[in-house]
Amino acid sequence: MLSLRSCFYLRPITLPHPQFKKLIFSNNSSFSFKPISHNFVSPMSSRPSAFDALMSGARAAAKKKPANSSPKKRKALDSLDSPLKPSSFLALESTPPVESQCGSSVSNLDDHGGTHLDGVDLGETKLRQDNDGGVGAKIGPFGNKTCASSVQERTAKLKSSTAELKKKAKDFNSKNVACWKEGERVPFLFLCLGFDMISEESSRITITDIVCNMLRTVMDTTPDDLVATVYLLANKIAPAHEGLELGIGDASIIKALSEAFGRTEAQVKKQYKELGDLGLVAKASRSSQSMMRKPDALTVTKVFDTFRLIAKESGKDSQEKKKNHIKSLLVAATDCEPLYLIRLLQTKLRIGLAEQTLLAALGQAAVYSEKHSTPPPNIQSPLEEASKIVKQVYSILPVYDKLVPALLSGGVWNLSKTCNFTPGIPIGPMLAKPTKGVSEILNKFQGLEFTCEYKYDGERAQIHYMEDGSVEIYSRNAERNTGKFPDVVLTVSRIKKPSVRSFILDCELVAYDRGKQKILPFQILSTRARKNVAVSDIKVEVCVFAFDLLYLDGQPLIQRELNVRRELLYNSFIEESGYFQFATAIITNDLEEIQKFLDASVDQSCEGLIIKTLNRDATYEPSKRSHNWLKLKKDYIDSIGDSLDLVPIAAFHGRGKRTGVYGAFLLACYDNDNEEFQSICKIGTGFSEAMLEERSASLRSKVIPEPKSYYRYGDTINPDVWFEPTEVWEVKAADLTISPVHRAGVGIVDSDKGISLRFPRLVRVREDKNPEEASSSEQVADMYNAQKHNHQNNQDDNGDD
Amino acid sequence: MLELRLVQGSLLKKVLESIKDLVNDANFDCSATGFSLQAMDSSHVALVALLLRAEGFEHYRCDRNISMGMNLNNMSKMLKCAGNDDIITIKADDGSDTVTFMFESPTQDKISDFEMKLMDIDSEHLGIPDAEYHAIVRMPSVEFARICKDLSSIGDTVVISVTKEGVKFSTRGDIGSANIVCRQNTTVDKPEEATVIEMNEPVSLTFALRYMNSFTKATPLSNTVTISLSSDLPVVVEYKIAEMGYVRFYLAPKIEEDEDDTKPQA
Repeated sequence: MLSLRSCFYLRPITLPHPQFKKLIFSNNSSFSFKPISHNFVSPMSSRPSAFDALMSGARAAAKKKPANSSPKKRKALDSLDSPLKPSSFLALESTPPVESQCGSSVSNLDDHGGTHLDGVDLGETKLRQDNDGGVGAKIGPFGNKTCASSVQERTAKLKSSTAELKKKAKDFNSKNVACWKEGERVPFLFLCLGFDMISEESSRITITDIVCNMLRTVMDTTPDDLVATVYLLANKIAPAHEGLELGIGDASIIKALSEAFGRTEAQVKKQYKELGDLGLVAKASRSSQSMMRKPDALTVTKVFDTFRLIAKESGKDSQEKKKNHIKSLLVAATDCEPLYLIRLLQTKLRIGLAEQTLLAALGQAAVYSEKHSTPPPNIQSPLEEASKIVKQVYSILPVYDKLVPALLSGGVWNLSKTCNFTPGIPIGPMLAKPTKGVSEILNKFQGLEFTCEYKYDGERAQIHYMEDGSVEIYSRNAERNTGKFPDVVLTVSRIKKPSVRSFILDCELVAYDRGKQKILPFQILSTRARKNVAVSDIKVEVCVFAFDLLYLDGQPLIQRELNVRRELLYNSFIEESGYFQFATAIITNDLEEIQKFLDASVDQSCEGLIIKTLNRDATYEPSKRSHNWLKLKKDYIDSIGDSLDLVPIAAFHGRGKRTGVYGAFLLACYDNDNEEFQSICKIGTGFSEAMLEERSASLRSKVIPEPKSYYRYGDTINPDVWFEPTEVWEVKAADLTISPVHRAGVGIVDSDKGISLRFPRLVRVREDKNPEEASSSEQVADMYNAQKHNHQNNQDDNGDD
Repeated sequence: MLELRLVQGSLLKKVLESIKDLVNDANFDCSATGFSLQAMDSSHVALVALLLRAEGFEHYRCDRNISMGMNLNNMSKMLKCAGNDDIITIKADDGSDTVTFMFESPTQDKISDFEMKLMDIDSEHLGIPDAEYHAIVRMPSVEFARICKDLSSIGDTVVISVTKEGVKFSTRGDIGSANIVCRQNTTVDKPEEATVIEMNEPVSLTFALRYMNSFTKATPLSNTVTISLSSDLPVVVEYKIAEMGYVRFYLAPKIEEDEDDTKPQA
């Protein structure tokens, strides 16, 4: 199902006026001319009249066949003779250095645009650089004609050769795949065909080979495009801490699709419902709208640069601008490109390519095209070693813009030296594996010395203190949170010992009541404003609970053992109650003691314990869910005690893997007094695939067009379908919380808020109960109060005001 | 050195209003003969061609052919600052990365300078062949605008068919369908109110109304609009600008047989 569209290939001809000269503005205010209508006579003579082309173009499109072969000649001519033409001097003159070309788009603009771009919509200006980088293959407006036949020929050629990508790395020759010249921009189609191939593989080794071969092809031909290629493979547009997001909703994509393919939004939406994936909708969209001229084939850099432009659009009409960017990509896309374009835009690539695989492949590819350094002689398997190096370096410097150029210029064996852990760039936090009980911990850590720490219920944060005194706070997902916690910024500068010049702290930020000296639940913390908080406006105080030190005075500590890091942590900071405290910890291997410590932690309104190795295998492993850190949470042990029996009253259509079944259900409890069902939570976990299938099938027959008059639910829920109350499901949850959305027990604990479940999961279907026998609102409220009572008892025995 | 002085400044304002919704950024090309622009919309479905001949300006100086990339929205923002009776002068120095718009009030008591940054745009000039069209319809521009507006409240596409009977605009939507037939009518008081149909061959084409509606933004530029149609060719919707040139919109037709989308799928 090709998404072909007919084009009217208009012939480039002389303009009504004599030749135009185009001014190019450069930094030093000198300028050069760029003839745009160069040499248009001779290649033209071989073409049919434009009028014929117009007609045949349209008819051919209707038959979905290429019609016009001459543009290809034209293309060939261009690329052959262009370097000799005077017009190419522009490319030579302003070709930016390699680094900046693959670096951020901002630096590129500087190279070309000088000063006149500030504040101007950067829209099309970026296109320039594509041309300049392309070794003069495209010169001027007449130079960049890529017409259908050449595109299709290229598609066919690429397609026939991509099978080569599957070859074992050592038998692979990138020349057999690359249908573009060295230095020419890598076609986006190449990447998409690779995606296609990866999506059909399940073996990680084969996928690694394919990715490795793809990367090698790029390295061998156009290394400048490697950064963009790697970013697209990772389905990212910038390092996480830059906080750059595409910010495109389904609605924008649906609009762009309908406009680009000349369909109505209703048609697109209908198809979306059937296929469950906008990418597939894009792929299946056959255009009913012909075009004036098919735009040039997409390149990897063009796509990536446009993505970054989309992410940077902000303010008035930004959604409209984003949509137009998407449209311009869509109309240029051919073959399987629309599918992956859309999925990349949604950041849901779903081809089974994990970032770790990409990193491994990157390391291996670097070994094969190694020019700069040779592996140290004592290495058994250089490929594995290289993968490890790249992964390790990425975990401490998760910035492809730095890693990839360093890999290209310095080689993989020097990578650890050229790329270093630096304050200001967050590393992925080390994560803990869940465990079910104290005995499991003793089993796992048999014979090891370990320590238990309170697991505070707050926000994980990485606090970077730079030599110049500036502070940055990063979230668990490496997002910059500095603006949210100005009070913490002040605190850390105060509590560090004067001798400390720079550090990176791993800690938990917890809402804290300084008057009563007690920890407040996470829900309170989440009521804090998120951006540009002024210290004077802060209502929810936070306390920093520090538990690890990753960097101190210019020295990375992540390779050191925990006991060393902890010692340095204790020595570098001064505790200040309510502002900065070290996480409460004990060192013991007595089961009884741990159990007591766990109970104590829960009493202190913590979530449970984190248990860490101290001496052996005790380095900090960035972004890994390591066996050396275990977590023991109260709700793993016995959740909220009793389970609840609830009634599904509505559901949401599934997406992606859950296409065709329901993706989530809205559950309700029964209020005996008012004889109504009150929504309590959405549930999507705890289902096996078969179970979900079964539940969806049985409920599908119970769909009703309107919610019953005796359903109570928040206005913002908007489920896709409503059900008759028929089934009862047993559900377990971690916690009960007050919710403005759900309506369970409304009026009992709060006059206009209900109660909701945290982390609900399905246990089983209660065939023995009918909906009216479901857990009652009163029961729910009692459970909430019991839980609250516990909390309060523990935190604040003397009662409150 | 470029200096173009246009006494009828409102004309430039109208031109900008007519194209800025269709195209975001475009290169204005200046040569000794005139000031022109050619650009496609982001979906490459429509193309706009503008020509303002040198003779139409009170003063026209263009030493060297240059192409100035402008963001049309920003340009329109600046031109909105000009009064309707103002004289507009466009100025650019060689090698400068800005263009200046100067507005003089008719009484010469107020002179404003607006300087706008230029941008570097990858332009693609297409040669547009002079085609013999199967049918050419000339009608009052207001009438055409009204038809497009009315039809777009009912459907998304318009079928324009020219037969001996006249020109028929029809659409179909969820709520129903609509047909508007305009017959040749030359017996009017004013020549611009005439509807003239020249037909060599009957022709019927389908277009997206969204674009047609956008073209009618040029209605203030001209009393009449000329629609030229040929099967398998883009339609040309032309608004002549008296003594100056024209704004022409080209629109690629929709492919009719491709309607399996709309049918319910099995």
